[in-house]
Amino acid sequence: MDNINTAIKDKREYSDLNLKEVEPITKINLRGKKREFFTKVGQVLSVILPTESNTSTSNQELSALWLSPDEWMIYTNTMNKEIFDRVFKEISSLNYGAVTNVSDQWVCINISGDKLYELLSMSCPFDFSKFKVTKGSTTQTIINHIDVIIHNLGDNNINLFVRRSFSNHLWDWLNDGANLL
Amino acid sequence: MFLINCPYCGVRDQSEFVSGGEAHIARPKQPTELNDDQWAEYLFMRKNIKGIQFERWNHVHGCRKWFNVARDTSNDKIEKIYKMGEQPPKI
Repeated sequence: MDNINTAIKDKREYSDLNLKEVEPITKINLRGKKREFFTKVGQVLSVILPTESNTSTSNQELSALWLSPDEWMIYTNTMNKEIFDRVFKEISSLNYGAVTNVSDQWVCINISGDKLYELLSMSCPFDFSKFKVTKGSTTQTIINHIDVIIHNLGDNNINLFVRRSFSNHLWDWLNDGANLL
Repeated sequence: MFLINCPYCGVRDQSEFVSGGEAHIARPKQPTELNDDQWAEYLFMRKNIKGIQFERWNHVHGCRKWFNVARDTSNDKIEKIYKMGEQPPKI
């Protein structure tokens, strides 16, 4: 269920920046439009999927990130296999929506520190001015030409999701940038 | 380079998008009845005008949704952005 084989196996600390891989962590991609889909997600996961763009919702156990009008990503480090099986059986098997386990597709990097947005802005076209003051905001954009999903946890602390095959390259780039700041 | 206001995500840099070419090209209803010239016209011939052109764009590094853009090709000014399935605006 969880991504046991970590991609980066490293943790770095700089004067105003801390970088580490978050693992093990479960990630689930949900796609659906039907009313039953939203009802089932609420019943099984106890979370209301965000319908406003670039936002997220959370409960004590998991976070749901808006990816597009009919696509979300759930991530958590407490989900057990039974709950995932229930989500799959009650949504995907009944054709209310699509449920895909993407735990091993995405690598989660936690970055915190006062120079966080300076680091990202070194090679990212996204305007972080509103994003960084809105706790819970999310965005999909590119950093150094690499697709990423960013979740703002507040107080200059973000979870950044990157595809596994790009994760080591982005990790090296982030550390190169952190050394220059 | 210019900014595009994605109808789903908001204003983003052009580098997050890819252009899908000219919009509102309808597939022939009876493809088997077309001669080679008509088929080539449908497949390959595009307007490529200087002025306002209707195009399809995809927010490939964001929400991955397609939408339509009315863009002035002479100065990259975007006149209108509208969703797939909507009628092109009169400009």
